[in-house]
Amino acid sequence: MPDIGDPWSLLEIADLPSPVPGPGMVRVKIEATDLNFADILQCQGRYQVPLDPPFTPGMNTAGTIEAVGEGVDLAIGQRIVGPTVGVHGGYAEEALILTEQAQVLPDDIDTLTASAMHITYSTGWFGLHLRGNLQPGETVLVLAGAGGVGSAAIELAKVHGCWVVAAAGGPEKVAACKELGADGVIDYASEDLYERAMALSDKRGFDVIYDPVGGEYFDVARRLVAWAGRLLVIGFASDTIPSAPMNHALIKNYSLVGVHMGGYRQKDPTPFAQCFDELYELLRTKKIKPWIDGVVGFEDLPAAMTKLQNRGTKGRLMFDPRM
Amino acid sequence: MKAVHCVKYGSHKDLVVVDVERPGKPQTGQVKVDVKTTGIQFSDLVRIAGEYQDSTEPPFTVGGDAGGLIAEVGEGVEGFEVGDRVITPAGCVEEINISARAVTKLPAGTDLELAASFRNNYATGLWGLQYGRLQPGETLLVHGAAGGVGLAAVDLGKLFGATVIATASSDDKLEVVKTLGADHTINYTDGFRDAVKDLTGGRGADVIYDPVGGDVFDESMRCIAPFGRILIVGFTSGRAALAKTNHLLVKDAQVIGYTMGGLKKHNPEKDKANAQVLMNWLAHGRIAPHVSHRLPMEDIVDAYQLLVDRKVIGKVMVTN
Repeated sequence: MPDIGDPWSLLEIADLPSPVPGPGMVRVKIEATDLNFADILQCQGRYQVPLDPPFTPGMNTAGTIEAVGEGVDLAIGQRIVGPTVGVHGGYAEEALILTEQAQVLPDDIDTLTASAMHITYSTGWFGLHLRGNLQPGETVLVLAGAGGVGSAAIELAKVHGCWVVAAAGGPEKVAACKELGADGVIDYASEDLYERAMALSDKRGFDVIYDPVGGEYFDVARRLVAWAGRLLVIGFASDTIPSAPMNHALIKNYSLVGVHMGGYRQKDPTPFAQCFDELYELLRTKKIKPWIDGVVGFEDLPAAMTKLQNRGTKGRLMFDPRM
Repeated sequence: MKAVHCVKYGSHKDLVVVDVERPGKPQTGQVKVDVKTTGIQFSDLVRIAGEYQDSTEPPFTVGGDAGGLIAEVGEGVEGFEVGDRVITPAGCVEEINISARAVTKLPAGTDLELAASFRNNYATGLWGLQYGRLQPGETLLVHGAAGGVGLAAVDLGKLFGATVIATASSDDKLEVVKTLGADHTINYTDGFRDAVKDLTGGRGADVIYDPVGGDVFDESMRCIAPFGRILIVGFTSGRAALAKTNHLLVKDAQVIGYTMGGLKKHNPEKDKANAQVLMNWLAHGRIAPHVSHRLPMEDIVDAYQLLVDRKVIGKVMVTN
C-alpha cells in the first residue's frame, strides 16, 4: 500500500529487502495468509491501530520460520501461525511474526487450514467456551452465521452437543448455515428475526447468543436471551455499537459478555494452549471442516479484496505467494 | 392482637397498627407461630405504594421474614414441636397460622433475630457472588455497602476470600462497614474510580456488586479489571444505566443481571440449596448479619422512615 485508500485500487507489487526479526519475532517464508476484512480497514486508515504507508497489509499469516530474533526459543524450519508485525504484513513472500502471540503448528496440521481457521475458530472457542461457558444440550443462536466467525461458531456449538439456530441475510447464506450443520435457520433479510427465533425456540429464547454484528440486531438479540443466558458481544460488523439498558438485563436475568481474544493475549495468555489443542484435535478427527473459499496469488489480490468487501465469500479467502 | 396493615395504597405514613382477632386453631398442614421480631425492607415501600409487579389489594400485612416460636402444630404436620424456634415470612403480626412448608426450623445455637433478618439479603448476595464467579484473592467492589444487600455482599465477599472495597454515601456508615469486615472503604460522593484504581494497583475491581445503578454503574465501568464482572442487583439511584458493548468488549468484561425471583422460578433447587448453606453458615458464626435498629410495632412509621432516610445499616427489625 503506497498510500491510504482502497486496496483494490492502490495495491502494488514492490520488491523489498527481507525484514529483520527484532526481539521476540521470527521471519517466516509465507505459505498461507488469511485475507481479513480488517485488512481492508487497515488499508483505508480506519483500523484501530493504524499504519503509516507504505506498508504491506495482512494482519495474520502462516509459514516456515527462516530467521529468529533475540530471545526466541524456536527453530528454523518450524511452522508457525500468528499476527504480523507493523508494516511487514502477510501479503508478501516473507513477513515478521510476533511469537508471543503465535501458535507453533503440530506436524500433522497443514499450514493452509491452520491459517484459515486461526482467528475465526479461536474466537469461537473463546466466546462459546471460555467466556460463554457453553454446556451440551444448551440452545445457541448465531448471528451472521455464514460469515467467518459465525460459521466457526455454528460448527463449534454443534460439535459441543448444542442445538443451533443460525441467522444470515439471503437464501445463499442461509443455505450455507444449513450446510454447516445449523438445526434451524433464519433469513433476516426476509424474515422477522425476533418472531422466527421465538417460534423456533418454542418461545424459550436461547441460552447463548453469538453476536458479531451489533447494531439493530443486537437490540433484537437481547430480547431473545433465555433465563440466565449469555449474550456474547463478539464484534460490530454493522459498524454500529449498541448499548443495553441494565434494567432489561436484571428483569430478564441475563449476562452481557464482552469477548476480546486480544485482551487474553496481552493479559492472560494461559487459555490459548488449551484452545488450540482442542481445535487441532477437532480438526484431526474431522469434527470441524474450516471452509476455504479459494487461494489467490499476488496478481489476484485486488480482486480478492473486492470480493471480501462485497461480502461475497463463502468461507476464508487465502493468499499464497507461491501461486 | 396487633398487626401492621396497609389499608390503602400510599406511603409508609399511611400504615396503621390494627387490632385483629387472634388466629384460631391451625388447619391441617399449618403451624401457629408466636412472632417475636420481623424484618422490614425498602421493597415493602413499593408494595405499599401499589407499584409492585404482583400487587395485593389492601388491606394486607406489611413486613417480611419473621422469627418466632411454634405455638401450636396442626394435623398432618411433622418435624415441628411447640417451642421450636423458627423463621417464616409472616410480616408484622403477633401470631400467625401458616403452612408448615413456609416455616424453617432454626439449627441449635442460631440467633432468632439474626435469622429473621438475613435471609433475602444474603441469598441475593450469595447467588450474585456465585453467578459472578468471585475467586479467592480477587477484589470485590460493593456499592451501597451500608444497605441490607450491600452489607451482606461485604460479609460474603470476605468469606469467599476476596479483598473487599466498600462504598457508601457517608463516613459514619463506612466506619461501621469497616468494623464489619470491609478491607477498604470509599465515600463515593466525590467519585470512587481513582480510589479503586489506587487500591488495586491500577488494575480495577474484578467483581462489582451494584445495587445502585445510574452514575455509579457508569463510573464502575471505568474501574473494572480486565475479565471483570458487574452484578446488576438493583437501581436505588432511580436510574438504570446503559452498558456500552464496546467497553465490555475491549475489557473482556461482563455484566450480569439477576433477580432472586428468577432463581426461585427457574432453579428452585439451587435456591433451596443456597438457603441451607446460608443457615448453616449463620449457625456456625461464619457470617455476621447486622441489625442497626429495633423498634416496637407502634413505631412502624418511624421504622420505615429510617429506611427512607437511609439511616439503616444492614437491617431494621420490628419487635413484638
